[in-house]
This record gives sequence, C-alpha cells and structure tokens, in this order.
Amino acid sequence: MLFQRAKAISHLMENQADISPRWLGCAFEGAVARVGTFSRYPRMGIYVGGGSSHSWLWFVEVFERQGLWDLCFLDEDDLKAGALGDVNALAVSGGDTFGLAGSLGREGAAALKGFIEGGGVYLGSCAGAYLPMSSSKNPLNLFNFVDVKIANLTKALPPALRLKDKFSTPYGCQYVFHPIREEVCLGIDQHSHLSTMQFITAPLYGGPAMLPGESCRVIARYHAFTEKTVFLTEDEMCRNTLLDKAAVVRCPLGRGCIYLFGPHLEHPCYLEANRMVGEILALETGVELKNWSRSREKRAGRIPLKKSSMGDLRGELSNARIVAAGMEFLPVRWTIGAKVYEPEKICVFLEAMWRRISLLQESGFIPAEMGELLSLARYTTRLLREIKAAVDKGGQSDFLAGELFCVLREYAASFLSGYFQALKSMDKQQGCLAPSGVKRLSRGFA
Amino acid sequence: MEYLSSGKILIVDLASSETREEELEEELISRKIGGAGVTTHLYNLYKSHDPIVVGSGLLTGTLFPASDLSILTAKSPVTGTLCHCPVTLKAGIEFKYCGFDYLVVLGTSAKPVFLWIHDGVADISSAEEAWGKDVWQTTDLWRKDMGDDLIQTLVIGKAGEMRSDLAQVSVNYWGSGDVWGFGRLFGERRLKGIAMRGMGLLEIANPEGFVESSKKLLSAVKTGAWKGKAGLVDILSSIGEKDEADWIAPLVHRNSSSYNVPYAGNTFLYLDEDPSLLKEPQGAEPGLLLTSPYGLLAAKALGLSASDSLRLMRSCCRYGVDPEMVALAAFRDGKKTREEIEGSFGLLERKGDIPWKQPFSPMCPQKPMFADFSVGGDPKQIEKWWLRRQALAYVFGVDPLFAGMSPELTAESMIEAVRIGSGIDISEDALDGLIGELCG
Repeated sequence: MLFQRAKAISHLMENQADISPRWLGCAFEGAVARVGTFSRYPRMGIYVGGGSSHSWLWFVEVFERQGLWDLCFLDEDDLKAGALGDVNALAVSGGDTFGLAGSLGREGAAALKGFIEGGGVYLGSCAGAYLPMSSSKNPLNLFNFVDVKIANLTKALPPALRLKDKFSTPYGCQYVFHPIREEVCLGIDQHSHLSTMQFITAPLYGGPAMLPGESCRVIARYHAFTEKTVFLTEDEMCRNTLLDKAAVVRCPLGRGCIYLFGPHLEHPCYLEANRMVGEILALETGVELKNWSRSREKRAGRIPLKKSSMGDLRGELSNARIVAAGMEFLPVRWTIGAKVYEPEKICVFLEAMWRRISLLQESGFIPAEMGELLSLARYTTRLLREIKAAVDKGGQSDFLAGELFCVLREYAASFLSGYFQALKSMDKQQGCLAPSGVKRLSRGFA
Repeated sequence: MEYLSSGKILIVDLASSETREEELEEELISRKIGGAGVTTHLYNLYKSHDPIVVGSGLLTGTLFPASDLSILTAKSPVTGTLCHCPVTLKAGIEFKYCGFDYLVVLGTSAKPVFLWIHDGVADISSAEEAWGKDVWQTTDLWRKDMGDDLIQTLVIGKAGEMRSDLAQVSVNYWGSGDVWGFGRLFGERRLKGIAMRGMGLLEIANPEGFVESSKKLLSAVKTGAWKGKAGLVDILSSIGEKDEADWIAPLVHRNSSSYNVPYAGNTFLYLDEDPSLLKEPQGAEPGLLLTSPYGLLAAKALGLSASDSLRLMRSCCRYGVDPEMVALAAFRDGKKTREEIEGSFGLLERKGDIPWKQPFSPMCPQKPMFADFSVGGDPKQIEKWWLRRQALAYVFGVDPLFAGMSPELTAESMIEAVRIGSGIDISEDALDGLIGELCG
C-alpha cells in the first residue's frame, strides 16, 4: 500500500519510545531498521555507469530507507558533463575497478577530483574504494587521490580453496586477492564520532583491506570472522591479510573528503552498517538525522494515470524477472571485463524495480521518459530470452550478457529516477520536503 | 482478502480482448470458502456467458499437507452439467502464485489466443503459431518463447482445436482429470491454453502458528497406512487391481509427487529406454507420466500389451484426448490395435457414452486407498464418503487423490488451518451446507 511504510514508522514511533530518538527505527519490507532518517535531503549522486555492477542498487535501498529521496543516477558522461555540481555526495559501489577507471577516464577523474576538492563527499565501496587509492597502473593512476595502499596484494598467490574465479584479479605483475567472502566483523574506532557501537558486521565481496597513510583516519578495522564468513584460502593467510587492517577509512581532499569502505556497508541486510553510512552522511553534509518527520498520510494529488503504459511496464518487468529467475538454476556465468557475473545479479536489478513498481503505479505519477523506459524494458526482456535460448543450446552468451548488464543499469537508473521523482512529488505537494541543499558544508572531521 | 489469497479475481473477455480485475471480498469467502465453492459461485454469476472458471483453494500452495490443487470449473459440453476438473502437479500452485485467486473466461475469441498470466499481469496473446501443434509442442513453444522452463500450462491439443467430445485440457504435457470435454470448450472459444508463472508471496495471518500446525499435521499424516507405498502400482494394488499393477510394474522408472503431497502418486514409465536407467536418458522423452490409473485400465481391457497401452496413452497425451474415453470409443468401433486407434483419433466420438455423473473427476479411485476410513462396505455409503472427501479437497485446495488415502486430513484440520492462516472462522455447518450444494 502506498503509505504502508509511513504507517509502519508511525506505529514504531508509538510503540518504541525506549529507542533513542536520534535513531528511532523505521520499518521497510517487513524489517525493523534502526537506520535513522534525515530531516532534509542532501542531494545524492549514485554512479551507475561503466564498470559498475549491481551493488549501487544497495545504496539506493539504504538511502530510500533513510528518507534520502533526492537521488540522481549518474554515468560517466554525466560526470564529465559536470553533473557533480548538483550533488552533495557521490556513492560509487562495486564492480570492476579497471572498468570504472576506464569509463571515467582522465576527464572523469578530473571532474571527480574537482567535486571532492570543492567540498563534495565521495563514498566508495568495494571497487569504488579501490578506485581513488594509490596505484601506478593505467588507468587507475589517474585517480591517485588518497594515500591508501592495498593490503590484499601479492606476487605469490596463495592456493584458492574455493570460488577460484572470485579469488583474485591480476594487477600488473601482482594479484589483488580476496581471502574471504561474505560476513566479517568490524571493530569501530571509538574516537570516530560515528557510532556508539563497538562492532558491526558487513559483507565483503572483494573489497580491499587497506593500509592508510598518515593523512587518513581509520574509522573501522577488520576485527574478526563470523560463522557466515566463507574462507577462500588458508585460515592463517586470511587472518594475516585482513585482521587489524583498515576496513573503513576517511581521507580529506581539499574541502571535501573520501570515504573508502572495504566491505559493503550499504548492503541492505546489514542494518547497523547502513546506519553507519547514514551517520557519515549526516556528519559530512551538515544535515541532521532525526525522527521521521514527513507525513505521507495524505495521498498526493493524482496525475492522470496512463494505465496502459504503466501496466505495460509492469508486464515487461514481470516477463523479465520470470526469465531471470529461471536462469538462476542454470550453471552459467559470464566474464564481463575483469568481473564474473552470475544470473542472480540480473535479479537484483529487476527486483529493485519490482519492489517499487506498485507504489509507483499507485502514485499515479508517470515518469517523463516513460516511452524510453518501456523500450528499455522490452529490450531487456528480449535480451534475456535470447540469452536463455543461447544457454539452452550450449552457445556463447557473454556478448549478450555484457549488453544486458549495460541495459539493466540504464533501465534501473531510469526507473528509479522516475520513482524518486514520484516520492518527492508527493512530499512537495504536502509541503513536507525541505529543499535540498547543494551548499557543501564539510564538518565532523574537517 | 488479505491472507492466504492475492485478493483478486481476473475477468477475461476473449471476444473484446479485455481484462479486468475484481476484488475478492472476504464476505464471499465466508460464505463459499474457496476453491470449487467460489468457482461455482462465479460460474453462476456469469452463467449467461457460459464461463470457464479457474480457481484455487485457501490452502493451495501453503504448507498444509497435500495443498497442490486448483480447479477448472465449467459446464461440460458432454454432460451439460457443472463439473470440476482438478489441476495438480505444479500447475495448481502456479495458478495461485501468479497473482489471481480466480479467473473467469468469457466469450469467444476471433482468432486463436492463449492467456499468459504472470505476477498479477494478464496478457491475451496470439496463439496462431501454436494452433495446430500438439500438447507437447505447444508447452515447449511457450516455455521457449517466454524463456522459462518452469511455466505451467493448461493446454489443448489438436483434439480440442477440432472440438472433439473426447478432448481434454492437459496439464503441461500430461493427461488430467478432465473427462468432460473441457478441451472442446477451450477449442470452441479458440483458447489454446493458459500459461502461468508467478513469483508472488502469500501473506499468512499467523505465520508461526500456521507452520507449527502444518508440521504437526504432517507428522500425523506421515504415519498413515500408505507409508512405504508409492506410485500408481501400489494404488492399483490397494484398490484390488493387482494384475494391472504387476502388468505395468516392469516399466516403472520413478514415482513423483505433486506439490507438497506426501504420497508420490504420479508414476513415470519408460517405453523407449531401460526403466532401470539412473542417468539422463538418450531420447528427449522416453516415456510418459501417469497421474491416474483409469486410462491404463481401459487400454488393458482392449487387449493391448502394456507397452502398446502406454504408447497409446502417450499419443493421447500429445493429441489432447482422454485415454479412457478413447478406449471406450475404440472398443465400440471395433478398433483393436494401437495403430488403428491412433489413426482414428480425429474420428472417435462419444456417441452418448457418459459413464460418469458426478461433479468431481473420477481420476481418483472411488474407494478408500490403503487406509480404513470406517466407511463399511455399502456402495452407497462409499459413494457418499467419496463425494464428501472430494468436495473437501476441491473446496480447500487439497490433492483429491491424497484425500482418499489420508483420514488424518479432516474437515476440522482444514477449517483450523484456514482460521490460523487467514483469521476467518468457518463453521462446520457452513462447510456441510456448501458440500451439500456442490455434491448436488
């Protein structure tokens, strides 16, 4: 239902008075999430361009929960065209680091550096964390923004006990290797001003263990493994490579700053880690996290609904997720750039839209680029069916899959733009939305 | 309806190519409960259009034991009465999860079409390419076109397209409990079939309680007299058809269950390859799946060998005809060999043979299997018992075959499951009244 979430939050507010007001919980998708919400929006950019995988959708999920609805989805062309001038913070999630750097190129690197030096906040997770670290490799050397080195780097690769294709990536004459995957426990620096928590857990999917220089501050370190940790090599190697190394780092750059997350703090299943992302944004963008204050009990004025187009979009989305879900049973994976993609990643894109389409439909809001969105939806379904047919015949589908993931990024970004426009539109009509501030106020650690 | 339900009824008008949704009101559920109770109500509501209605029970697709059933309800073009065909295997639950609790099909399409129902979306799509194809080819075509091997189909073959009295609506590739010529109804409406796929979720009012009570009931059910038995061979033995059981036993490759049914009641037989083979067969389709013993018994009565009987049944599956009725018509027409019968599929007629008058499908044996239901030996009492067991299954969405072998699945257990799962209290009197209506 349209206002189910607001009702859930109201319910929590009524029934959980013992929760610290600053972190009053909110419930989404059936989960009780103490992630906090913002009293007004910083304007957030999310990088969805070349080299990114599906994990930027996790940032979307977390930002939405926190009430950060002023989102824009930026690809490499947008960055080069100066789109960062309109945002307070940019989130760059996982993917292929070389792919990210290659897509952004010199022009993108300059835009990114200018954005941060001008007071912007960069949140880099996994591949997004590797990107601004010190490197001599082309094109990563365009992004030597911070004095942080990779700890999980070796010339002599240890034996991979499992998931060999996820274990390492060539890095010149060395390898970046990933001793573990899945959940890891982080110890939070108690002087970080970020959290009262001592430990949090978050998943690690190839992100770095870091060796920061003096100008950077360690916010969290890899503290321990958990029952859910998957060891890809010998225990001792895992411990030596990760434990006590930096997992979350803050580095100043000009008037802005760069946050590097080794683990995916934005993974939606890790609420305490999500909360930390919110705290970082609160500190760095000068907005205050406080109780949910926006009432969405009244339905926004209805924009005439073109039922057929929104219904068509829903139908196409369903067609696509049916094919994608069926492919999860197939022993297929694709190597795109330096990264291995499984069919499950397709579902992450499609489910991110599917979970939101009912609300978008009920809102009556028709995105401005509905025609383009429908074309992307149809093309996605067609590509998926072609891939399925190729896999069934035992044929090659890497090229089609490469095309599909490009289209999925565009499709999801376009859809989510429309979705957040709808949310903002509803709030504005109720006079509850504070204007977004692009004026950059760096504080906290500054 | 908030729980155990998607809360929606889909109305499809084939004549205008339009679809619309209606809300499933809790008030209707409190009166007609679900399954055949509601499909009958919807049939009567749209009676002037002679609709085809598909529906699920409140327990369909849940953890309640044997909750695999959806129902196809329509007026039989053969008997002229309202009848209910069970939809089992995985198709029954697929319907439940594709976003609608009930589907009402009205009118006749100008061109061949099929319904593609998925995630609460209903498309009326062209079936021009499938028209003329047999049941297997059609299911394969739709699965390939839509890119998912898990799509479930209710589909007709050439028999339905030719409007044969013997035509049945098949489930995926296999025969169904349709002995009433519903396949002809589909053909008359130029409805080649219904393809279904849904990834929806069911809300449960008290999920922990529902899981706990279902587990408890399953534990009790598993101690039943059928324990250690499997497939049609053991069913045949239990109903006194030991010779027939021995006749097919050498061809059995494996037994499998419909969704969540504790008894593996479907039997796959190998014809073209060694039944003892435990690896992937060489051929694409080495045999056939039987969900009911009666077609086989009728074929045996013709004097065919086990192998020829099963080959004939496989041809029936592809052509989309009821094998039991085919055997009866062939016997009457003096056709004795498999080749003769297969060659006359398009010509066989019922000629007034309507051996079944009940509203529920005779695919399930009309006597208790394995268990003692304390029915006694009086045929009238046995018939009364059978009708009530079938009605219960068809109302709540429970496998009708398993209902005939598991006395632990009582009306009380179903009422209790609905209460826990949906919060709706159904009185035994209301249920008895509904069963009385359905059984005529």
